[in-house]
Amino acid sequence: MEHDQAAEAHDATRRRLLKALGVAGASALAGAPAFSALAAGTQVTLPFDNGERDLLSFPQKRPMIVLTSRPPQLETPFSVFNQGLITPNDAFFVRYHWAALPTSIDPQAYRLKVGGKVGTPLELSLDEIKKLADPLEVVAVNQCSGNSRGHFQPRVNGGQLSNGAMGNARWTGVPLKALLDKAGVQAAARQVTFNGMDKPPLGNGPDFVKALDLDHALDGEVMLAWAMNGEDLPLLNGYPLRLVVPGYYGTYWVKHLDNIEVIDGEFDGFWMSKAYRIPDNACGCVPPGTAPEKTVPINRFSIRSFITSLQDGAQVPVGRATQVRGIAFDGGYGITEVEFSADDGASWQKAQLGKDLGRYSFREWTASFTPPRQGDYALKVRALNRIGQQQPLQAQWNPAGYLRNVVETTRVVAA
Amino acid sequence: MHSRFLGALALAAACAPLTATALQVTLPAETAVYVPSELPGYQLVQQNCLICHSAQYVLTQPRTLPRSYWQATVEKMSKAFGAPFPEQDSAAMVDYLSRTYGAERPAAAAP
Repeated sequence: MEHDQAAEAHDATRRRLLKALGVAGASALAGAPAFSALAAGTQVTLPFDNGERDLLSFPQKRPMIVLTSRPPQLETPFSVFNQGLITPNDAFFVRYHWAALPTSIDPQAYRLKVGGKVGTPLELSLDEIKKLADPLEVVAVNQCSGNSRGHFQPRVNGGQLSNGAMGNARWTGVPLKALLDKAGVQAAARQVTFNGMDKPPLGNGPDFVKALDLDHALDGEVMLAWAMNGEDLPLLNGYPLRLVVPGYYGTYWVKHLDNIEVIDGEFDGFWMSKAYRIPDNACGCVPPGTAPEKTVPINRFSIRSFITSLQDGAQVPVGRATQVRGIAFDGGYGITEVEFSADDGASWQKAQLGKDLGRYSFREWTASFTPPRQGDYALKVRALNRIGQQQPLQAQWNPAGYLRNVVETTRVVAA
Repeated sequence: MHSRFLGALALAAACAPLTATALQVTLPAETAVYVPSELPGYQLVQQNCLICHSAQYVLTQPRTLPRSYWQATVEKMSKAFGAPFPEQDSAAMVDYLSRTYGAERPAAAAP
């Protein structure tokens, strides 16, 4: 019965995919680059209750873990993080808030508007934006605020993600500062707001608009990016232009950016004043099951590290050295040390740090592990950064499921 | 009704005039569906929720969530997110969601 239903669903998927391919074929004939779903998916099970997900290829993407299909929210399969420090564009995670996203974008017709408390309102083409300053390149992690939410205990509602709503890319663009300098920020300016082409499907929903303080917007690092890893942004990652806010959670990295406003107050839109807020204390956490008294907008990444070369349940040889590898990153202060434990945190050894691609990038680490006897081993990794931030051994909790950065454990068997 | 709506969108996308340089994508058809039920909320959820988002938003939530969560969520969709369903639909929707996906679901009927 269950099998029949699955087969039926699979056939239905196949029929729809063929139909979708037919549509894509038609637009390819019209001469436009067209990307469509290519492969019917299998399923994966994320390591928490109700973690069954489809694995499906969306336009310009390899098969990804589907959190939701409308709007697309796609998680990177974790094995990708062991294949290199740079996350390929076709494996980079996707997160939208509203289903009315643009599916056809003409870069010639595209314009970015800049208004509000500026001397000269602007309306710039992509070519004009690219000529605002010498292009800037930065390797930076983008991570969803709710990355790893599915691992919260007690569970919290929201997008039930495992650890794949993050990625590390080389971004190309110009500093936002160059644009704001051209427009001329007025003395009264206090914040800058960012809006993209994705919209609520019905008129009444709060449009996804984010804000940065003016000094942050002018820091020369916040960037208008048109390329990642040397290629145009994939559509689902914000083509033709997105904001890159190094060290800050992805919620600020507004996609399909087409409107910037300089304002003289604190922006009170829904996605700043009601959503994406964390407890106003050093850990951004509260006792499990309680509500914070005061909150602030989510901001920099908490410090994290992962083992990428071994998954839970992996087998390693007894008495022989296994090179364990992984990644570490933080909110942009810079990883200074990574420690590895093969005995569930009883003792720790220093890991070797790999090539430094910049303080906003994933940092590779490696450690040698020689299990002395057969049996189960709980491997742990923890990182330290330049300002002394460390990962907690016990998971911290907040009601929105943000900032997870507990010391992760990978259980392996030596045989 | 829903699949007809999506079909119309796909058709519109296929017929839209394109310049030679536009980047055009076709998103895969969605396959996630709400769990069929005799509860009156099942039909209402299909009408009122699928207008804006796919069913996985509900299907993937922790199965431990109490009725109060689904109550608050249905309210949030209407008040904070502007979903245009009539208030009298809420009770039946909350009942279906709580009994199908939340803590009140029959343990054996795990989706």
